[in-house]
Parts: sequence; structure tokens; C-alpha cells
Amino acid sequence: MSNVVMQTRIRLARNLRKYPFPCRLSQAGKNEVVETIVSAIKNSNSPLANDFDVLYVKDLTEAQRISLVEAHLASPEFISDSAGRAIVLSKDREMSIMINEEDHIRLQILKKGFDLDGAYDVADKLDTLLDENLDFAYDEKLGYLTQCPTNLGTGMRASVMLHLPALQRSKAVSRIAGNLQKLGLTIRGTYGEGSEPQGAMYQLSNQVTLGISEQAAIDNLKNITAQLINQEENAQKRMADSIETQDRIARSLGILKSARLISRDEAMDLLSNVRFGINTGLIEDVEIQVIDKLISDIQPATMIVNKKENLTPSQRDQLRAEHIREVLR
Amino acid sequence: MKCQKCGKNNADTHIKRVVNGQFEEHHLCSECAAEMGYTNVFDSFSHSFADDFNSLFGSFFENALPARTQATRCETCGASYNDITRTGMMGCADCYKVFADQIMPTIRRIHGNTTHCGKNSPASKAQPAEKAPAQNTKSELDVLKEKLDSAIKNQEFEQAAELRDKIREMEGE
Ligand SMILES: [Zn+2]
Ligand SMILES: [Zn+2]
Repeated sequence: MSNVVMQTRIRLARNLRKYPFPCRLSQAGKNEVVETIVSAIKNSNSPLANDFDVLYVKDLTEAQRISLVEAHLASPEFISDSAGRAIVLSKDREMSIMINEEDHIRLQILKKGFDLDGAYDVADKLDTLLDENLDFAYDEKLGYLTQCPTNLGTGMRASVMLHLPALQRSKAVSRIAGNLQKLGLTIRGTYGEGSEPQGAMYQLSNQVTLGISEQAAIDNLKNITAQLINQEENAQKRMADSIETQDRIARSLGILKSARLISRDEAMDLLSNVRFGINTGLIEDVEIQVIDKLISDIQPATMIVNKKENLTPSQRDQLRAEHIREVLR
Repeated sequence: MKCQKCGKNNADTHIKRVVNGQFEEHHLCSECAAEMGYTNVFDSFSHSFADDFNSLFGSFFENALPARTQATRCETCGASYNDITRTGMMGCADCYKVFADQIMPTIRRIHGNTTHCGKNSPASKAQPAEKAPAQNTKSELDVLKEKLDSAIKNQEFEQAAELRDKIREMEGE
């Protein structure tokens, strides 16, 4: 089983027929939408019904808001405004619903590894159960109606987070990206932008939502992802034979195990190298899940939220180094 | 609004992002955005689709729009067509009916077709029309889809893109 895909996400955009879209909805209307959706979840026959938290953006600290983005539960757009916005989260954070982001509902299923069918299945069931209690804006010809026409139709964005250190290093990602676009997909850096995003982590997702069924869009994404996995695995194998790569990977693990201060940027690069090392068998005594957990733990706002106190950047770097040493010992 | 980076061009790209624990907002012109790496290939996680849509929309209708329609407003939400092109956002579900004529070409440009295919909202009692394309059209479509699958498997991306266009065209009709 390949480790190239770190996580899978399905997002569905839905709106309530009765209310204008968020861009033309009053403050009172937005609050009503939040209450309507929350009570529909409570009364639904879904696994979410008895087991969720509702966070109102206005009640959250800056660090808490940003940590939601770092954990891929909310978008930067969602936290850019606090009025009438709330997020519903299952206890395990696999299911989440942003309320009044660009649409009334942005339902998300987040799964570890490569599991598009599994994630869609959960999203589809939850959506169907919510539909029983909420009247969604839907048109026979245009499908689910969304505030921005780019999401019309299925309203579905399926995406996989890929770790592509070898393709990035060999400058192949930008070449591939041009072709992906022709196939109705986009690829972007998960952390940071530009042609070499941090940690070599990329988000690959479908772009077209109208005129292509959920299943066809998922199959398309699955096929292309399988191709990318293949290319990345081959490139990794070739690179792993070189002494320069072996040296870089061994040093990366060495620094992580001994540093006393480490910035997020440096840690991301080194963890990415170690992940590459584990995947190619150059590192045998560290589990890849441990590295993936570290990647989410060391994000700055997430650290502040977990520590429950404000940290200066240098305190953060110290705490980050300590935490990594502890985990890798 | 002028671009926050060069101060010269109009800002048409609104970027919201989280960088190293900080929330940032930038209003940039498309050139500066591209320079910072926000090209359509590597645009940020947060780059709003609405902005793409907005510029797409603006250029498409610049001269083509009869003055009369600019005065029309959606009775449900009060949005005018001008509001929609300015923000890149529809005001409500009814806007899609009120401004259908103006917006269809744009929808076609974004998605390559204008007909939904996929899940029906169960509550909208819809079910009947789900699978009724003419038999011969369907098999031709299946053949194309098989070709597309094999093109993708063989990494013939150029050919796959062409096939995809054809499939979209057929499905859109
Ligand atoms: Zn500029
Ligand atoms: Zn309207």
C-alpha cells in the first residue's frame, strides 16, 4: 500500500432553498440558517446526530480559527468573517460542516490515506439524511444551485493530498500540472504556493462539477492519482539509490532527533525528507503515521491551541523541537 | 481598488490565506498574483473561485449586454445582473432563473456544458429523468469513455484531453 496519498477529502456544497445565498443574506438570516441546519443535524438519523460539536466563529480565538485551517477543517475564506458563521464537527473530526461560508452548507468528509469511495459514501449518506430535514436548492437541469456557478451541478470537490518529494525535486510537477488541467483537475500546494510548496505536499482535485456525475469525477480523479502514485514511486526508487539522497535523508532524521530550536519551515522540509526515507525503506525504525501526526502537530496555531497558552515564535520553535525529539526518541 | 503590491494595476484577485500561523488577505492584480505564484496552476489553497469567475464574466459580457437587463432585479433577493458580475456571485437560487439567458454562456464556459448529471436532491421528488439517454448515444459515449480510460492509463494526456472534450460535448446535449 502506497503512502503517497496522505489524506482524502470530499466536499459537498448545498444551499437552503428558502434563504438567499450568504452574500445577500442578512445577519439575522445567517443566524437563522445556522440554527436551522444545527437542528436538522440533531434531528437527523445520521451518525453525526448525537456526537458533534458546534463552534461559532465569533466565539473562537484567532489561534483556534487558524488551527481549523491548519487541520483542513475550515477554509481561510470561512475564518475571514465571523458574523453568522459556525462549523459543526464530529468528535473524530472526520465529518464537518461549515455553515455560511460561500454556501449555506459545505459538508466535508476527511479520511486518512487514499479512500475516495469510502469518503464519498459517508458524504452521500450524510447529505441524503440532511436532505430529509432541509429543502435544498436544486434544479432539474443545473443540479444543486450554489452561490458561485463554478460549483453548480454536483457541488462536489473531491481531493487527495499527495506527498510528491521526488517529482518535485525532478521538476516534474509543473509539467504534469499543465496536463492535469486539461483533464478537469487542478493541483496546488497544500502549504504555501509557488512551484515548490513546503514539504512537497499537493492537493489534487476535480474542477468541473456540472455535466459529470459524482462517480465519474471520482473515477477520473482515482485514475490520475494512481498514475501519479506510480510516477512518484518510480522516481523515489531511482533517487533512493544515490548516496546524496541517502545522506540527505539520514541527516534530516538526525537533525529532527537532536535540534533544540526548529522553525516550522525547517521541520516541514526535514519531515518530508524522512517521510520519503520511510517510503523507500531507507529509514526502517519510524512509522509513517508518526511523521504524518507530527506534520499536523507542529503547525503554529495548532501548537498554541494544544498548549492552551500563547507562545512567542521562539518559544514555539523550542517547544516544537522538544515535541519532535520526544516523539522520535 | 489598486493592487497592494505594484500600486498601479487594478486589483482583481482577492487572496485569503494562512501562512505560518497568520491569516493574511491580499488584493492583487493578476500579474502580481502570478508573480507570487498564484497562477491558475499553482494558485493557493484559498484563492477564491469567485475571482476567476468575476474576471471571466466581466470580459465575456463587457460589450454584449443590453442596457435593459442591467435594470432587472431578482425579486427574491434584490440582486441585479450588475451585482452578479461585480461580485461573481449569484444572490439566490431564483437568480439562476431570472438571469438564465445572460448566465448560461458563462456556465458553459466554466463547465463545458449546462446539464447536470449525477445525484438528485431526494426531497425534490426527482427520479424519473435520471437514466434515459437514447440507446445509441449511450453506447457511443461508453466507447469514448473506455478510450479515455485507456488514454489515461497510458499517460496519453493530450489525447485524453481531446476525448474528454468530446465526452463533455455529448453529455451536455
Ligand atoms: Zn500589481
Ligand atoms: Zn436572487
